[in-house]
Amino acid sequence: MELIPGISTEHYIFLSVVLFCIGAFGVMYRKNAIIVFMCIELMLNAVNLLLVAFSRQWNGADAQVFVFFVMAVAAAEVAVGLAILMMIYRNTGTTDINVLNKLKG
Amino acid sequence: MNELLTLTGLGLFSMIAEIFNFRKAIFPVIVLGLLGLLGLCYMDWGSYNSTVTHFSMMKVDNFSIAFTSVLTATALFWFMMSRSFFEDQTSMSDHFSLVLFALTGAFCLTSFTNITMLFLGVEVLSLPVYVLTGSRKRDVASNEASFKYFLMGSFASAVFLFGTAFIYGATGSFNLENIATYLSTQPQLSPLFLVGLLLMLSAMAFKVGAAPFHFWTPDVYEGAPTIVTAFMSTIVKTAAVAAFFRLFYLSFSGIHGEYADIIWAMAALTMVVGNVIAAAQNNVKRILAYSSVGHAGFMLITILVMNDFAAKSLLYYTAAYSAAGIAAFLVLYLVGSANNGETPLNAFDGLVKRNPIMAGTMTMALLSMAGIPPLAGFFAKYFIFVSAVENGYIGLVVIAILSSLVGVYYYFKIIIAMFFGKPDNLPTYFLTPIHRFLLLFVAAIIVLTGLFPDFVMGLMTI
Amino acid sequence: MILLQSLNSSRDFLPILLMFIVAAGFVSFVMVVTQWLGPKHKSKVKADSFECGIEQIGNARSPFSIKYFLVAILFVLFDVEVIFMYPWAVNFKSLGAIGMFEMFTFIAFLLIGFFYILKKGALKWD
Repeated sequence: MELIPGISTEHYIFLSVVLFCIGAFGVMYRKNAIIVFMCIELMLNAVNLLLVAFSRQWNGADAQVFVFFVMAVAAAEVAVGLAILMMIYRNTGTTDINVLNKLKG
Repeated sequence: MNELLTLTGLGLFSMIAEIFNFRKAIFPVIVLGLLGLLGLCYMDWGSYNSTVTHFSMMKVDNFSIAFTSVLTATALFWFMMSRSFFEDQTSMSDHFSLVLFALTGAFCLTSFTNITMLFLGVEVLSLPVYVLTGSRKRDVASNEASFKYFLMGSFASAVFLFGTAFIYGATGSFNLENIATYLSTQPQLSPLFLVGLLLMLSAMAFKVGAAPFHFWTPDVYEGAPTIVTAFMSTIVKTAAVAAFFRLFYLSFSGIHGEYADIIWAMAALTMVVGNVIAAAQNNVKRILAYSSVGHAGFMLITILVMNDFAAKSLLYYTAAYSAAGIAAFLVLYLVGSANNGETPLNAFDGLVKRNPIMAGTMTMALLSMAGIPPLAGFFAKYFIFVSAVENGYIGLVVIAILSSLVGVYYYFKIIIAMFFGKPDNLPTYFLTPIHRFLLLFVAAIIVLTGLFPDFVMGLMTI
Repeated sequence: MILLQSLNSSRDFLPILLMFIVAAGFVSFVMVVTQWLGPKHKSKVKADSFECGIEQIGNARSPFSIKYFLVAILFVLFDVEVIFMYPWAVNFKSLGAIGMFEMFTFIAFLLIGFFYILKKGALKWD
């Protein structure tokens, strides 16, 4: 079942894979912790897009409910993450994740 | 379901108890509540009609009851162990409620029948632990551990969700039973499903701390306060492995051949990497961190074997490992808190002369982890090896035995330091009654579960 | 949705494309024209940022009170919970009394959390 004619589920899959990969590379290569958080959000939104597309394909609502859960959990995750970042900023005065290299072995 | 409500209620109570000046009541209420939870588990066990699901989201069967009992007992020990650590802090009720909410997540992880519930369980378990890891606010190491754990954990969650989306795309359902039915009717698996399975497998390996996704474990375990490390290496690990097993047992066991090689390689790599790197460490906390990676490898063997006996031996392994972990981390915490939080190997020198109870229990715990008969750890490893040999994974068992020999080396390094080291300029320890009781009790449990393994394994009759 | 389904060839998207072109064109046209037509008086006072006539102090990127952060985070948390009420409201009748009870439990949990942050003083300004 196509929401927009000419745009099949495959297109959504490609789009969300691309979005997910952009997010994943951002997490791995960006140095600023806030941008890293944004990249994780991008990954989660890629998942949401994919879930909604599949929900449409299967004509079921459960994936859309799942998206609600993902959004709520993402908000909680961001709250915890920013609080951790705030704590680090107070102690080190920067949000560059390269200062975090005390633990090695 | 009553278990879930009890845990949530306890968490909410200890969250607001401090506001109403019930601070003194928090600890007794939690202990009573957890004992009540064990009672509920006892009542639900066996008599429970295990075909009933709660809106097809959760099913309280013997698997979940057995693991919940182990988790609850471990949590009880954990609360007794950490009382003195949090009592002098203003945020005691916050910490305790976070732990109870994490336990709620752990319960969801042992009884889900739907991927939605698995996801929520993972998150409800992880989010409080991210916060607890960073609970020493002024300590940069604790901050760093917390940040790394958060980053890796949420990355793994995103990968997990992506895999879930693909599996939903292939099967049209989040329900584990429906997925299993789909797999049994499908002659050819769609690539969509295989991609989803691979992503989900990686994410679960991430959460369990299995190689090659283990690199966060040592850093996080070292940076976190020792009390929190004890929680992570016992309860979080048990719940994560149980969830891993349950997910694959209930939904993917029909296509075992598709992923058996991956789990085989993962288990072998995890055991070798965890044990070999642990042998090269000098900080006892880091040794235990890497050894917990190694133990995750042994637990993965049960997921590879994937039958009823494997479920029983996994339960037994987690119980034995949790008991030994609580004992070892309690001694580590006591030694560390008298030594500015540092736990190098030479802080354990001559511990037997300074405090025989601590040294004795630590020795028991380490011998159990190393797998020396007749302690619990030996039979735990033995049952897993038996189930693996019966199913023809002889090569893996050889690797497992070799790596546990390496384990014997580094566990004995600590034991030798405790018994033959010179205790120059090192403090003697005075135990609070609750800690002394806990040390002796856990030591007794390590011996007794070793002598009567049928009791623990009998809890699980799927 | 019905509107979207009746679009069945790429030609039906032409109005949307046209709208994009017109919007982009108008914006760029106005920007160019204001640059071109407007008078230019460059001075230090003029280049300063405008702060209600008060002399500006320090850098704009200075740290601000942690209170903003806390309130913003708490807002995000409670704001997002509302999404669970939409599907509940749509299916209100078919869910019946149990649905009502469940939603009340959910709101009770939220209220306990809200009570907690109130009592912890997270929303106090001074």
